[in-house]
Amino acid sequence: MSKIVAVHSYKGGTGKTIMSVNLAATFAKQGKKVALFDLDFRAPSLFAILRCEKIQVWLNDYLNNNCDIDKILIDLSSRISGKGKLYVGLANPSIDAMRDISTKDRRWEMRALGHLLSLKNKLFDEQKFDYIIFDTSPGLQYSSMNAIVTADFVVVTTTGDCSDVNGTKRMISEFYKMFEKKTGIVINKILDDVARSNNAEYAKKIKETYNVPLLGVVPCFCEILKAEGKYLFPQDKSDHPFTNLLYEMADKIEKSNIN
Amino acid sequence: MYKQEGIRKKHLATLEKIKENLEKLNEKIDVLIELRKVNEKELQKFPDSSLDVITLLNLPDHLRKTAVAICRNGRATAEEIADQTNRARAMESSYLNQLVIMGYLKKQRKGKKTCFYVERGNES
Ligand SMILES: Nc1ncnc2c1ncn2[C@@H]1O[C@H](COP(=O)(O)OP(=O)(O)OP(=O)(O)O)[C@@H](O)[C@H]1O
Ligand SMILES: [Mg+2]
Repeated sequence: MSKIVAVHSYKGGTGKTIMSVNLAATFAKQGKKVALFDLDFRAPSLFAILRCEKIQVWLNDYLNNNCDIDKILIDLSSRISGKGKLYVGLANPSIDAMRDISTKDRRWEMRALGHLLSLKNKLFDEQKFDYIIFDTSPGLQYSSMNAIVTADFVVVTTTGDCSDVNGTKRMISEFYKMFEKKTGIVINKILDDVARSNNAEYAKKIKETYNVPLLGVVPCFCEILKAEGKYLFPQDKSDHPFTNLLYEMADKIEKSNIN
Repeated sequence: MYKQEGIRKKHLATLEKIKENLEKLNEKIDVLIELRKVNEKELQKFPDSSLDVITLLNLPDHLRKTAVAICRNGRATAEEIADQTNRARAMESSYLNQLVIMGYLKKQRKGKKTCFYVERGNES
């Protein structure tokens, strides 16, 4: 069954973008048809990370009702071997566009939500996509809240840093729960010794702290830092431990039931 | 023969008309029941009645589900919403009418169908 997955976090720099890109690549590598969207309009990054050139139309234009969704989807399927498909919709990184988004009012945000929700009809029902992945801004930005309301599944990333724990807990219990979102948590950038003790006990502790299931624990890998987002791990680093973790997480998301 | 056929058609049309009126009445009763059930305060008309995510967050749980469902299409019948939320049509009809009263939705009859829609204003 098709799903929209939003990758979100309370604080910045927790690995949302790395996770979104590589989860999208993982699903595509499994032969699925995937669309990845950059909903981080305040600090767009997929444009740079995926090194896309000569882009004329952006996700901003779709939300402004200036064009159809087909116009903004860029086909990156050639970067993945196999029969999977990977498309991306980018946030406009120009300063003007970022400023423009930050001045939108509630009516615009309401229409933007409508445009996001209608992706289900357009991309799932009509174009047979299997997954839509949203990379979002941290915290409760309008665009992120719209992404979460639209999503079927929310992946929350956290570094487990003490200043992040409470905020993450509140966000889950006071926002995601209101919309009955299926949620899974990823503990990222864990230092080695903790990661090694990653076991049933740890999963239980996480479950108790956040009241949502643990999707995965990702150690701090120098290769992720060095890659600067340039690799699609499932394609370019297929035997890296991060790739194995990605497949495990993708599997859990795939198996989760949504209504 | 022809005459009989004509009369039958006429009766059918009358019955259809009665059915349609009954449906309209039903809906009005739904609204009245809701108005009595729900605390007046909750149904206050808000000055800024955009159905955005902040508004959705502030709605009571049962209405939030209905509201999110209608945001997806922008326009739907109670039946279509019930399909999405897996709740009874009559229930959705009453929730939709509450949202109309609160000023978040508009309602329009087209033939036999009642459509609810989000007034999104001019796109800019
Ligand atoms: N497991 C990891 N090991 C090592 N470095 C990591 C790991 N996860 C993320 N990073 C690095 O941390 C930085 C932030 O990651 P990323 O950009 O994905 O976070 P983000 O949540 O999208 O940030 P923002 O909130 O600014 O959008 C990047 O330099 C990334 O390479
Ligand atoms: Mg990011």
